[in-house]
Amino acid sequence: MIMAATSTPSSDLQTTSGVDREIEQGLDVEILRESAKKALINALNSVVGAKTLVLDPTLAGPLGLVTEVALLKHHGVDKMFWLEPGPLTSTTTNVVYLCRPLIKYVKIIADQIKGHTKGSLKHTYTLFLVPRTSTLVSRILEEEGVLGDVSISSYNLQFIPTAEDVISLEYDGAFKELWVDGDETIIYDSALALDVLQKIYGQYPRIVGKGDYASKLATLLTKPLPNQPVPVVSPTPSSAPIDSLIILDRRVDMITPLLTQLTYEGLIDEVIGIKNSHVELPMSLLNPPPAPNQGPSQASTSTAATSIIGEKTKKYHLSAVTDPLFADLRDLNFSSVGKRLSQTAHRLDEEYKARQQAKTVAQLRDFVGKLGGLQSEHQALRLHTGLSEILLPHTRTDLFNKSLEIQQNLLASYEASAQVTAIEEMVAQGADMQTIVRLICLASITMGGIKTRALDSVRREFLQAYGYHLLPLLLSLSSPPLSILLPNPLPPSTSSTVTTSKLPFSTVRKSLRLLIDDNPEALEEVENDISFVYSGYAPISVRLVQCAAQKNGVISNPVVDKATNSGGTSSADHGDVVGEGTSMDAKKLYAHPIVGWKGFEDVLGTLPGKTFDIPRSVNATTGTNPGTTLVPSPIRPHEQTSTTVVFFLGGCTYTEIAALRWVNRQHRGRKFLIATTGIISGSSLIKSIAGDGKVGQDSLRDSR
Amino acid sequence: MKVYSLSVVYAPPSSPSVILTSASDLSSFSFYQRGSVGEFLTFFSKTVAERTAQGQRQSVQENSYVAHAYNRGGAEQLAAIIVTDQEYPVRPAFSLLTKILDDFTTKVPQSSYSNPGSINFPDVQTYLTKYQDPRQADAIMRVQQELDETKIVLHKTIESVLQRGEKLDNLVERSNALSAQSKMFYKTAKKQNSCCVIM
Repeated sequence: MIMAATSTPSSDLQTTSGVDREIEQGLDVEILRESAKKALINALNSVVGAKTLVLDPTLAGPLGLVTEVALLKHHGVDKMFWLEPGPLTSTTTNVVYLCRPLIKYVKIIADQIKGHTKGSLKHTYTLFLVPRTSTLVSRILEEEGVLGDVSISSYNLQFIPTAEDVISLEYDGAFKELWVDGDETIIYDSALALDVLQKIYGQYPRIVGKGDYASKLATLLTKPLPNQPVPVVSPTPSSAPIDSLIILDRRVDMITPLLTQLTYEGLIDEVIGIKNSHVELPMSLLNPPPAPNQGPSQASTSTAATSIIGEKTKKYHLSAVTDPLFADLRDLNFSSVGKRLSQTAHRLDEEYKARQQAKTVAQLRDFVGKLGGLQSEHQALRLHTGLSEILLPHTRTDLFNKSLEIQQNLLASYEASAQVTAIEEMVAQGADMQTIVRLICLASITMGGIKTRALDSVRREFLQAYGYHLLPLLLSLSSPPLSILLPNPLPPSTSSTVTTSKLPFSTVRKSLRLLIDDNPEALEEVENDISFVYSGYAPISVRLVQCAAQKNGVISNPVVDKATNSGGTSSADHGDVVGEGTSMDAKKLYAHPIVGWKGFEDVLGTLPGKTFDIPRSVNATTGTNPGTTLVPSPIRPHEQTSTTVVFFLGGCTYTEIAALRWVNRQHRGRKFLIATTGIISGSSLIKSIAGDGKVGQDSLRDSR
Repeated sequence: MKVYSLSVVYAPPSSPSVILTSASDLSSFSFYQRGSVGEFLTFFSKTVAERTAQGQRQSVQENSYVAHAYNRGGAEQLAAIIVTDQEYPVRPAFSLLTKILDDFTTKVPQSSYSNPGSINFPDVQTYLTKYQDPRQADAIMRVQQELDETKIVLHKTIESVLQRGEKLDNLVERSNALSAQSKMFYKTAKKQNSCCVIM
């Protein structure tokens, strides 16, 4: 359940594609983890004596990233239970509840307390609401007559670092709450969390963004927010100050999460499922293998796949800190993973063979010293080779490839209506529900709605194949505010909000250069655009970030242009951004300062949702004249690295993270800090929209 | 490698030398040869002793025999000679000569030098036998040998540790297979008039 968290401070050295980055120190996000841990300890210590902890199941994952069970036991937690309906038997007097402020949880708590009172069991109850208290909760407890028995407090769990450049609220319900339920609480919670970031690292000099809810969030941030406890641990002051905050609504780019992710980490999420950075893996991959002469090990791919299914699994924490090989692999397109694994295997082989050259005892001692590192690399190689062998067969199934073909055809607007027919055929071929829903939503968005007759036909097939209990799901998808599954033409009764929220896909495709026209073979060797994450399609969300933070990467291709003097190709030239055929490795372009959406206002205007660009006045803490309301000068002292925080309201995918890391590598002087309400995938989105009912399967693997 | 003979010789500078005690190992020679070999060894030893100045060490080769000599001189005017084959390592040979001289002077009184027959010094035979395997007998060589053995054990241990992990060859093979099978996920012609599907 709760696993050990790493707490080593991280320096920012990423070696990917064999190109070494300069060592640029990013923001230290570990203090966020430390702060969350301390806050939890303080909360636990506020209840004196042994306690029973009753935990909301959705919090187990995030807490596991912050601390481990041992720490809880160290602070008096005797036993732990899930917060579930039914009576609670507690051996200790103190009962501590830790949960999100949901009605169903509060009702369970009230029932449990009343059950105890009836049995004349004396307990003291403490309730910690995550992240903050709510009057609704007190009201319900009052109605149930137990308010006087419970002391209510809050545990302010906000951003948790899941990688050295990713911080997440680990809140899975964000998308659904915003765009299905219309519940804007998460916007306020996000504002509070982003505010804490400001207090630690410095005020956001500029807030840029796209999307209606994003705009609300930005407005909240410009107003004074209630004081929150700032972390006890203070960061090193001068490392990479924040130069701006970019906020993106998930709704602005619905296409990206619907597509099948093709990076290594993305594909693991698609096929197996990653939850709070943990993945369930067969034990045989994780434990040391038996002695070599005990039967043939998984030598062939097919026997590997069949022998692993049905094997017991164990949770494994995917982390680049403990597993440097994973850091290399995670953002690669899966087609390059085999090659990288093979390179690593050969290199390891060379290193091992070096021991035979060792003649003196001193040389042997050196080798033994390296042996530990080589062994752990060896184990990592074994794990990822085995994991890739699990993924590869999935990528070769007919359904997987058919789905990819439909996706790419839809993105290219190639034979659109034939694709809808193809999707229906996939239903007949037994594709799983998630895949079909993602495909028809993708069709609807890229085509500007599905022909009414075709849509009806698909809907019918779908419900008949997967069950009528999915009708609410289809309705949520088709109705405001989500409105991504639409007929074409729209019925006359449609509200104008729906019409204005439609994405003019073919226009945007051209203006943001979403499809790469280059010769695909050229792409095999060089990742020369963010589109490598989807083998030829660039995520709209990341293109938008490029519009603000890497303007020369949007229209033209800086890598391809490097050989030719490309001064005039980019229509978004600004100041020091002229592409000058600089060599990729030695002299990377220095990142241009954030000046909002300048140069791309038209494009941004075509996308639905508010566009905003809010420069902030510099306040006293940054040392300049507090009286002026001048926009801070965009000229930075040279050689100083700055951080651009990119916040995804509604979640982001592993591929978007990989793409942003690619953008990071194109220039010096800027580091992205990716913040999100949670990490999502197409399936997790659909699942959360479908709601709590028994809908569909969790992942492709379960459906086999 | 073999030691053929070991002798302690009384070697005053200008007079002929006298073998005070010696031992030999002629087991490698056929029965009929042993007599003449034995005589040769005596002659060889005496001659080399006479030709070695006091305080000097030298080695003399005669066909396949090598005589190492150490004339310690001193009050006793003793020298020690060891005759070995060519393979025998030089350093242990000389350290044996020093050792045997020390032992001899401690155990045998100078008065008996005039009467070699009366000298009872069984150590000379013991040393000869022991030093047939110089690695066991000689301290430094023993350390060296133990070092070599340790290295072998180290190598074996490292091998066994490496064996415990999944065979790297297996991983090399599998990762090669993975890299060969990987496709680029291009499913469709994006250009309007292109008909190639890249697989």
